[in-house]
Amino acid sequence: MRWLLVLPVSAIAVLPIQSDRPLRMTTESAEYCRTLAARLAETPQATAELPRGLGEEGRHLCSIGHYRSGIARLRRAIRAAQAEPRRS
Amino acid sequence: MAKTMSERPRVAARPAAPRLLQSAGFRFALLFVAIFSVAAGFLVAVLWWATAGALDRQTIAAIRTDATSLVERYREQGSTGLAEAIEERLALDAQNETIYLLVDGEGRRLAGNLRDWPTAIGEDGAWFRTRIQHDGAVAEARVHRRDLPGLRLLVGRDESERVQLRLLLTEGVAWSLGTVLLFAGVGAALIRRALQVRMRPAVATALGIAGGDLTHRVPISPQGDEFDRLGASMNDMLDRIAALMSGLRGVSDAIAHDLRTPIARARAKLEESLNTAAGEAELRAAMEEGIADLDNITRVFQALLRIAEAEAGARRAAFAPLDLPEVLRDAAEFYEAMAEAREQRLVTSLPEHLRLVGDRDLLLQAVANLLDNAIKFTPQGGVIRLAARETETLIEISVSDSGPGLSPRDRAHALERFFRADSSRQMPGSGLGLSLVRAVAQLHAGEALLLDANPGADPPGLRVVLRLPKP
Repeated sequence: MRWLLVLPVSAIAVLPIQSDRPLRMTTESAEYCRTLAARLAETPQATAELPRGLGEEGRHLCSIGHYRSGIARLRRAIRAAQAEPRRS
Repeated sequence: MAKTMSERPRVAARPAAPRLLQSAGFRFALLFVAIFSVAAGFLVAVLWWATAGALDRQTIAAIRTDATSLVERYREQGSTGLAEAIEERLALDAQNETIYLLVDGEGRRLAGNLRDWPTAIGEDGAWFRTRIQHDGAVAEARVHRRDLPGLRLLVGRDESERVQLRLLLTEGVAWSLGTVLLFAGVGAALIRRALQVRMRPAVATALGIAGGDLTHRVPISPQGDEFDRLGASMNDMLDRIAALMSGLRGVSDAIAHDLRTPIARARAKLEESLNTAAGEAELRAAMEEGIADLDNITRVFQALLRIAEAEAGARRAAFAPLDLPEVLRDAAEFYEAMAEAREQRLVTSLPEHLRLVGDRDLLLQAVANLLDNAIKFTPQGGVIRLAARETETLIEISVSDSGPGLSPRDRAHALERFFRADSSRQMPGSGLGLSLVRAVAQLHAGEALLLDANPGADPPGLRVVLRLPKP
């Protein structure tokens, strides 16, 4: 039943899909985990409670191979760090 | 080839429609389904535009804003600043839905989360949709290309969640449309059935009539709707047809009966003269008498034709404005001499002018018939009155005499063709004079009334009144 609905949805969309081969993402790897962890570490408010907790959680998830969720935690940690009020 | 009476007019030879389409009920039902479907389709289109369309427009706006902001960043800080902005955006993308790729002129990746530059994606400013691999699963994305000096930039958004939403919407819309069509179908069937049920009595009546039984009538329900009005109209029509047919039968019988006598009499006279005439002069006299008898018969036929014409309304085309007293004066002038010859007085009471729209000849004939009757039945020394007047809505012409009048029983039939009261059987006449008067009155949308000229007196006399509506 569901595959029947894919057809009208694709037909209704204005633009056709261009490439036959799916494009690969570079942000789902251990390397990108490390890049984000380094970026978090460079953020001035990274030691605040929320960014630190999220960062640790993210690094742990990346270390056990859950890159997608690990990367999501690290991104939230960076967001939280940027949102933290700067210490005077 | 001669046309037979049974031939029916044909509109045009067309290929026969499918049996179902020949049913008006089905066509109405189909129209109902079509209108219902168009309305449902319009509703779905609006719903789609307001939900899935809004999401699409939102995504496009976000991508365009993002791309414009990055181009600004490039203008301010060059390629290094642009690459840093992209990495920063990716680092903050907790929903993991942004897509960026910045490559140099040789196609080397400078920043972004796409590994390779996609093939065949158009020029600067192009929009396209592509598939991306996210965590082993394939998702859809919408991407916009912007070219900068020596650089190419792709900005996009993962649309997998929106596609999911669109799928759900489509599923909902499909179910809704299916239900709508089902209801439309059921509604159409109900309409068709209701039409058939309401039409059935009229059809049964028509079939009964076609079968030769004119007593059938359409039963009228207390609803008083369009079908009842149609049924009532059919019943009125059938009553009128029955009355006309009855009249026709009566006329045919009357013609057969009343004309047989004068024809037989004329024949008998001629035959007798043929056998007994002593000479040429006697024979000639008998022939002249026979011709006079046949002329009388011709006059009866002419009167019948005039009545038929008046009743059919065929002479309405000859209607013209006229001054009624002028017509009445002409008639009075003609009959005055006849009245004087019988020592009667013809008294007129007419206004100066009385405007009317009608057939002058027929009105004159009707008044002449009335005066002729009045003179015939009024004894010597009697008075005949011809009067005309107008009320607020009517014009009234009356002819009164001081003759024996008509009994109530005779009055009920006096306006019918060939009717002759017992007391007048000895008088000359065909019994068509008053029939023509009534036909002329009806042709002018009026009526003819028979009254006592002097109520309570003996004899009461007869007063015939023609009431015609004012123009």
